[in-house]
Amino acid sequence: MDFIQLFHMLRRRLFCTVVCLLVLYGGSALAQSPRAVLETAVMCGGIENFKPVDPAVVFSISQGEVFCFTNFDPVPEKSEIFHKWYKRDKLIFTMKLTLTPPKWSSFSRVQIRTADKGPWRVEVRRKDGVLLKTLRFSMVD
Amino acid sequence: MDTLFNLFSGFRWQDGLDILLNTYIIFRLYVLFRGTRVFRGLLGIVVLWGAGQAALSLGLIVTNWAMQGVIAVAALILIIVFRNEISGVFQTRSYISFLWGIPKYQHHTPVDIIATGVSELARKKIGALIVLPLKQGLAGSVQGGVRMDACLSRKTLMSLFWPGSPLHDGAAVIQGKRIVTAGAILPLSKRKDLPTYFGTRHRAASGLAELTDALVIVVSEERGQITVFKELEIHHVKDAASLEALLKQHAGEEAADKGRLRQTLELAFVGMIAFVCITGLWARFSKGMETLAEHQIPVEFVNPDQKMEIISSSASSVNLVISGAKPLIKSLKPGQINLTLDLSQSVVGENKLTITRNNILLPPGLQLKQIEPAELSVTLDTLVEKELPVQPNWVGKLDDKLTMALAVPVPARVRVRGGGIALKQISTIFTEKIPLDAVNESGEISAALALDPAVFKWAESEEVKIQYQIIPRKK
Repeated sequence: MDFIQLFHMLRRRLFCTVVCLLVLYGGSALAQSPRAVLETAVMCGGIENFKPVDPAVVFSISQGEVFCFTNFDPVPEKSEIFHKWYKRDKLIFTMKLTLTPPKWSSFSRVQIRTADKGPWRVEVRRKDGVLLKTLRFSMVD
Repeated sequence: MDTLFNLFSGFRWQDGLDILLNTYIIFRLYVLFRGTRVFRGLLGIVVLWGAGQAALSLGLIVTNWAMQGVIAVAALILIIVFRNEISGVFQTRSYISFLWGIPKYQHHTPVDIIATGVSELARKKIGALIVLPLKQGLAGSVQGGVRMDACLSRKTLMSLFWPGSPLHDGAAVIQGKRIVTAGAILPLSKRKDLPTYFGTRHRAASGLAELTDALVIVVSEERGQITVFKELEIHHVKDAASLEALLKQHAGEEAADKGRLRQTLELAFVGMIAFVCITGLWARFSKGMETLAEHQIPVEFVNPDQKMEIISSSASSVNLVISGAKPLIKSLKPGQINLTLDLSQSVVGENKLTITRNNILLPPGLQLKQIEPAELSVTLDTLVEKELPVQPNWVGKLDDKLTMALAVPVPARVRVRGGGIALKQISTIFTEKIPLDAVNESGEISAALALDPAVFKWAESEEVKIQYQIIPRKK
């Protein structure tokens, strides 16, 4: 086997490998559905015109309520996300939110009372349980 | 045989010491009081006590009650009647003699001097009255007299009883090598069987001998005769040798080997009887009265896997009901009972461990009746490491015009080590409370981590810094 024959043989094998990889990647990409992308997540004292107002990490119980605002852009298809509210490590409640294409803002809120004082967190999770963001804050006097 | 074995099955060294100590006390009391009338009275009380116990065992309740009353009265009478004798026992001895040695009364009295002196007085027909006290002493029986404390010698005796001497009419009291008193007045006997030729001196000697255990020597000035009075006995002595023998007998110097052998045998017998009686009493006290008692005993877990931790136990102590003799129960201390549970076969998670008699170590002589609870639930866990996010725990009140926009812990995550099960439930590590009242501008604050020792065995850092941003609140 001379040098030219060896070159052609290696070129054919490289071509086949590249074609196989492209086929595998394309199949895998086709198998995964498009995901909504979390653009903004913030704890705030209110919502005005679909925008968070008074974003903070410490909230007074005198405010009466606390919001968890999330903005997804893009949203390729209708999907669901979850806001899980924890006081310390105890799950207090879960809010299911539906996202609609092409982009979507959604929020959940809790009424706060004296007994709610302490450290809290909200976990933003996809339907399959993947954690997108954890927001930590405190409720104080 | 089995009964005897059971009786001594729980024998402790303290019991042996107890028996020996009390045996010795009884033995010493016998040694101190033997030969006295107090001892005979004590024997009488012991007989009454035995009769009372026999009546009790036969169910004669009234008789037993009456016996107890009689014993109480008899003890009182004994003390009152024989007070002189009792005080004599205590007054005439050193403190060491209470604990050690067999007292030999008048042991050092030079009886040969007395014998020769008295013989010479008799030969010269010089009247004399000599008192040799023994155990009881003379307190209350002898009156008057002059305290002399003179050295005893033949010439002293001669000069003391010389008719011209001012003290020759009274009695001389000799203790050891000293003439302690002279011219003493002795109580006269009221006996009617005394010979008619006995004068006042003889009656006085007899009177004292009847009341005490003293030996009294009388020399008649009319006949030159020596008469010795001991209790109710009257001995007419012919020569110095006979008198010396009598004095030696009185002083406990029966030098004959036969006498010493007899005394040794007597004391050995008494010691044995005391030992048997005290052992019997010990058996009665330690085996006769079964008592139940409850003890709260902490559980000791042994042989745990080195990689495991005890996370929780349904109980840290166990209530044991124990039976045994009352003295043993009363002297029992919690540290004398051990309860150990073997964890070598235990696994991660909850383990049910049954407590059996084999887990409990009791002092000898005690029996285990009940275990409560008889089963423990012990949760074991392995130690794992985990990295946890840190979250500040703000408390207090932030100024209404301000907003805390951001709070970032540094470091943001901390590695901790603890029980795997416990750590599985924990996803955040919080700081101790951080007051907000003094916070009015952006800055940094140190905060300790709230590390519950029941969960966290180790933490990479016990303190973090919180960097926070304060902005004016939008209206």
